[in-house]
Amino acid sequence: MNSRSRYVWAYVMIAPTLLGTVLFWSWPAVYSIYLSFLKSENFGLINHWVGFANYEKLFHDREFWQNLRNTLYYTVLFVPLTLVFSTFFAVLLNSKIRGLSAYRVIFFLPQVTMPAAAAMVWVVLFARDYGFINYLLGTHVAWISDSRFAMFALVIVGVWGAIGLNMLLILAGLQGIPRSLYEAAELDGAVGFRKFRYITLPLLTPTLFFTTVVLMIGATQIFDSIYLLIGKTNVALPSVRSLVYAYYQNSFVYYDQNYGAAIVDILLVINLILTGIQFAFQKKWVNYD
Amino acid sequence: MAIRKKALMSAMSLTVVSAMALTGCGNNNDNSASGNSASPASSSNSSDTKAADSSKKDVTLTYTIWDQLQQPAMEAIAKEFTAENPNIKVKVEVIPWGDYWTKMSAAAPAGTLPDVFWMHSGQFVKYASGNFLEPITDKVESGEIDMNNYAAGTGSIYVLDGQNYAVPKDFDTIGLAYNKELFDQAGIPYPDDTWDYAKLAEVAKQLSQPDKGIYGFAAKMDTQGGYWNDMLANGGYIVSEDGTKSGYDDPASIEALKARYQMILDGASPTHQQMTDTDSTEMFKSGKLAMIFEGDWRTADIDGSDIIHGKWNWAPLPKGTAKRGNIINGLGNTMSASGKHKDEAWQFLKFLGSKRAAEITAEMGAAIPAYKDTQSAWVKSKPELNLQVFIDQTVDATAYPAGSKAYPVWFPKESEIMAQAWGGNISIEEGAKQVAAMMNQAIADNK
Repeated sequence: MNSRSRYVWAYVMIAPTLLGTVLFWSWPAVYSIYLSFLKSENFGLINHWVGFANYEKLFHDREFWQNLRNTLYYTVLFVPLTLVFSTFFAVLLNSKIRGLSAYRVIFFLPQVTMPAAAAMVWVVLFARDYGFINYLLGTHVAWISDSRFAMFALVIVGVWGAIGLNMLLILAGLQGIPRSLYEAAELDGAVGFRKFRYITLPLLTPTLFFTTVVLMIGATQIFDSIYLLIGKTNVALPSVRSLVYAYYQNSFVYYDQNYGAAIVDILLVINLILTGIQFAFQKKWVNYD
Repeated sequence: MAIRKKALMSAMSLTVVSAMALTGCGNNNDNSASGNSASPASSSNSSDTKAADSSKKDVTLTYTIWDQLQQPAMEAIAKEFTAENPNIKVKVEVIPWGDYWTKMSAAAPAGTLPDVFWMHSGQFVKYASGNFLEPITDKVESGEIDMNNYAAGTGSIYVLDGQNYAVPKDFDTIGLAYNKELFDQAGIPYPDDTWDYAKLAEVAKQLSQPDKGIYGFAAKMDTQGGYWNDMLANGGYIVSEDGTKSGYDDPASIEALKARYQMILDGASPTHQQMTDTDSTEMFKSGKLAMIFEGDWRTADIDGSDIIHGKWNWAPLPKGTAKRGNIINGLGNTMSASGKHKDEAWQFLKFLGSKRAAEITAEMGAAIPAYKDTQSAWVKSKPELNLQVFIDQTVDATAYPAGSKAYPVWFPKESEIMAQAWGGNISIEEGAKQVAAMMNQAIADNK
């Protein structure tokens, strides 16, 4: 086979994935940038070019800055907590205990539960007057309708939902660590936490790096738990409303797709910067040896 | 080694990301995708009608509605229509109110609106002025359908620039639902047409037992089924008659809003937070509320609760200082301008506007039919309840404040601002003034 036909075959093989990605991910992303420079009427059938007007409005919109703060606050709480809990459970499930696969299934279950169904259960758990969480803690807190607590409720639900998949990824990383290293460390007298600190953790950094990047991108796009748990008539909405929620409201509820597009384009830039920073700093802590 | 591991990591990330994209099970990562998926979901309905293209062949029309409670009645109407027109089948599809207009707004520019669908007066102008609805003016002029057949002014709601766009379906007003058991226990006579708002507040206080979780009234943050009625009764208004100005900052409107909120402060109503946790009508259904404003369309829903069944009834809304306030709204059936089977759709639309369809609607208790002289069948659909109040109240009722391009813009924002006032973050007066400013802006932007 000559090299040219090999190329052709390679492209044929990746075409289904590539087409899907371009059609459903790349094209909408590019199109949303175009949309953000327009003012549309009549469901987007009539468009006027307005330049940076939508972005100008954005920078003077106090609600936008509050939404940005909320999004970053959620990310700062959600990502470390998910990493810590996922690593903790992954290490536990990497040991030899009875009923191992049962535990793995239990921890992975939230991942395959429909978010809407899970949210309905959480709404009941969080309820002020008859909720199980208040009953358990002996408190009387309106978890999802009090501005002081709503963010924590969202983080709890978010972490609960994210542990499953990330635990699995970290577990795969743990199983890639050669046993011989632990045996050597034991000969040198390392036990318990020291083994984790000096062998497991450094060798797990590539996996942790990957999960951090993915988690952070996911966290900045939080939407469904706000939509399902908090709702639009909730007094706590302004203190948890994220950029993507604001995008949804503007694009699909207020029919202002252009302003919505400007919001997600800012988010896109933020994510590019965040990911760029992480790649730049990975040399400091990620161990590929 | 290092390079191979890096390659492994990137391969791993690709697999995971694409798996998440394909299965759509990522919790947070694929929100934008799930938001967009609204359009294909709603557009799917016309795909199965494409197969048949000649009018003599079998045709399946999609009829989209938002109220699941009315689905059985709408299906009964569709069935009878198909019996008369064997080649036209009708699929009744329910999209809940919360998603309905989101999906319609995606379907409209894509040309995939359902063949026939329910229209709300608030959304009508936006769809009609964009030429997404098929005008039926020629059918009205040729006498195929007579708009004088419809009661309570419903024939004139869906008219824009002299063009008719909808066949009136039903109308609705608001009533005061009360729990007879709670009144009996307290030895207080049931509400009647002599009640005014002062009496409502007084009795609500008497009936409240917050320690038992029982409240006299639900002073909910709600428009059509809530404070709009209060504002009108107190001499205020929602939008000025020429549609140019918000009435939220009118002193009489603010006074009415404050009076409603005062019932929460008095402990005569659950707080906004409580009503966010549990919908107030659900509280009424579980016997925790003595009184609530609700639309007639919730009758079957409330009566379906085993706890309250047989222990409740309807009364007219109380009198205000100015008049008896009540919002009347009428739904219409419309057809898509880009439908594939417009002739068949018109046949169905005509049948939906017929006396027979109104009778089915009435007898099944689905809604108050718009067709003249069929309302009494609806009143009789549940003889143990005083449904007559909804018909009687049409006399004093004010039309739903829609009929503008601005309405779809200000309406969702209204509830967000008022939620801050009802939740106690800002004063009622401040909230009302913010809503007024927002509405006036929306009216100016959407002339």
